[in-house]
Amino acid sequence: MKTYLLRKNPTDVAPPSTDRKFLIDYKKELNPAQYAAATSVNGPHLIVAGAGTGKTRTITFRVAYLVELGVKPESILLLTFTRRAAQEMLRRATMLLDARCERVAGGTFHSFANMVLRQYAPLLGFQSSFSILDQSDAEDVVNLLRTRLKLDTRERRFPRKQTLFDIFSRVVNTGVPLRDVLTEDYPHFTELLPEIEALMKAYTAYKAGHDLMDYDDLLVHLRTLLRDHERVRDALAERYKYVMVDEYQDTNRVQAEIVWLLGHKYGNVMVVGDDAQAIYAFRGATVQNILEFPEQYPGSTIIKLEENYRSTQPILDLTNEILRRARE
Amino acid sequence: MTTRHKYAKQLFTQKPGGELPSIVVAQTENLQSRFVIQKILDLREQGIALNDIAILFRSSFLSFDLEIELNKADIPFVKFGGFKFIETAHIKDLVAYLRVIENPRDAVAWNRILLLVDGVGPRTAEKVIDDIVARRASAEQDATGTTLPAFWSQFKSYPDKIRSLFATLRDIAPQHLAPADKIQQLLPYYEPIFAKRYDDWNKRKKDLEMFGQIAERYRALGPFLSDLTLEPANESVTDIAPTDADEEKLILSTIHSAKGLEWNSVFVIYALDGRFPSTRAALSEESMEEERRLMYVACTRAKEHLFITYPINIYDRDSGLVLSKPSRFIAGLPDNLLDTWVIDEE
Repeated sequence: MKTYLLRKNPTDVAPPSTDRKFLIDYKKELNPAQYAAATSVNGPHLIVAGAGTGKTRTITFRVAYLVELGVKPESILLLTFTRRAAQEMLRRATMLLDARCERVAGGTFHSFANMVLRQYAPLLGFQSSFSILDQSDAEDVVNLLRTRLKLDTRERRFPRKQTLFDIFSRVVNTGVPLRDVLTEDYPHFTELLPEIEALMKAYTAYKAGHDLMDYDDLLVHLRTLLRDHERVRDALAERYKYVMVDEYQDTNRVQAEIVWLLGHKYGNVMVVGDDAQAIYAFRGATVQNILEFPEQYPGSTIIKLEENYRSTQPILDLTNEILRRARE
Repeated sequence: MTTRHKYAKQLFTQKPGGELPSIVVAQTENLQSRFVIQKILDLREQGIALNDIAILFRSSFLSFDLEIELNKADIPFVKFGGFKFIETAHIKDLVAYLRVIENPRDAVAWNRILLLVDGVGPRTAEKVIDDIVARRASAEQDATGTTLPAFWSQFKSYPDKIRSLFATLRDIAPQHLAPADKIQQLLPYYEPIFAKRYDDWNKRKKDLEMFGQIAERYRALGPFLSDLTLEPANESVTDIAPTDADEEKLILSTIHSAKGLEWNSVFVIYALDGRFPSTRAALSEESMEEERRLMYVACTRAKEHLFITYPINIYDRDSGLVLSKPSRFIAGLPDNLLDTWVIDEE
């Protein structure tokens, strides 16, 4: 006999009860768009939050709202650009509602990856006590290997360690093959493709051999873990039923895949951001993540926050015009 | 795939009033700086605090002339960017000692601390590291996976100076020692090295103290090291000019570092085509759109006063051109959006 397993309906997770009494008067505290965003519960949501439109406030109220609904705080994951941002939002939510909000899981993608990998690193062949390399450490390793592979000869120009590391990082973060990265950004090094490729392999092997991860690795290894280990993916999907991502316009491809994998089971993913403020392409971020969200998450709801609480109207008139002239 | 390039939006406020933003042309770079300074003093007169005023620019070097003029005018300022605490060499040294205790296979950290030992060069360091990694594979560990003190005691055949490093590591390795205690025991070993290595060690000494203080918040080494690398929060003492806690300072910042912040008054300087966008950005449509968004981010930081300035007659070495046009993102805008000012000298 075959068993056909019915997937849990997302709405079974935390049925919002309409007649329940909330401690916070959300309608009074928020404008209509903010209210719609803060009180959305299940399914994928994209909140397009213009500059100065109360994005932090909206996220804070949404955390409080979920907790008031009876969602376990530990099962809410809030990923932000800096740890300070996460702490600030959870601190505000705690002041708004109560100490339950302190138990919400919040942090940066990197700190989240670090936490998960400390638990599961052995599945990827790493010890849980792996070290994290910052950029200059990573460049030193690249330099060491360049010497070891005797690529630092004087007869021809070989890229510097910073450049090499930047090239590797670009390949890893954007998924663009090494050959194309060289052609696009460093055409004068394209003839060195075989050597640079060998060096990149050596760099990866060296890190694996010494239990080292650079910043990019934290994300890449987390993605691999979630993608290739169903058990872990399911465990994390069970642990974090509500995933929220701030500054989504500044995420890279790997980060977007992580979010997608985390949300695979329940689909309760809310991303918040402003495509007009995407300014980190040089670090591998891609504005496509936020632009393609509706296609990647069919059935998603888009809510735009447009009421600004920061600037005067003449300033907004100017900035609206700067944006209006952007590519359609 | 989608061909969506943006989500159209129209921001509005219910706040009434407000003056038009201005675009200010300066005949030279220096006139731009002097305009900014005089205007800052005006705003200051109107009761706007210095730390509620920000000068934003596309690239860090674009503020150099202004910085000189600010110093001359005795206007205190802070510039966002620069070295982080954790990136300073002496703090990296300390972190390296702790890292090898946590992960004895960490060849990068080993390399750093071995090279700090007198008389050890890259070749010796590499030999020692290979030896350590080989022994580590068969090392005994306690229940929590930490390498036992005995591991650190087995390198008897090494020269005295290297042995003394291992003796120090053995003493600070035990798990019951909190990170702050490890550091305290490490300092007598490190300080002579430190004093010899850094000419300005007296200025850097405060950082060692601060490092110990940060460590006090942690009970285990692993989380301490992770946080240090992932969240380099504090700036080095040597990087910050002596400050009064409540002394107000003008903000200078790249636009990237100004993300998410707001000020009463904002100056966007060097809004000069060829600098912002830079001549390099002219290469692809994607990077041009990214530059436009940078301008958008810069201008949306302002609450009440927004001044966009640009100097003319700027020679661009890369292209051989003389740059004199305003940034294309704000060029040709109607008068009802932007006031045009020219500067005249008394």
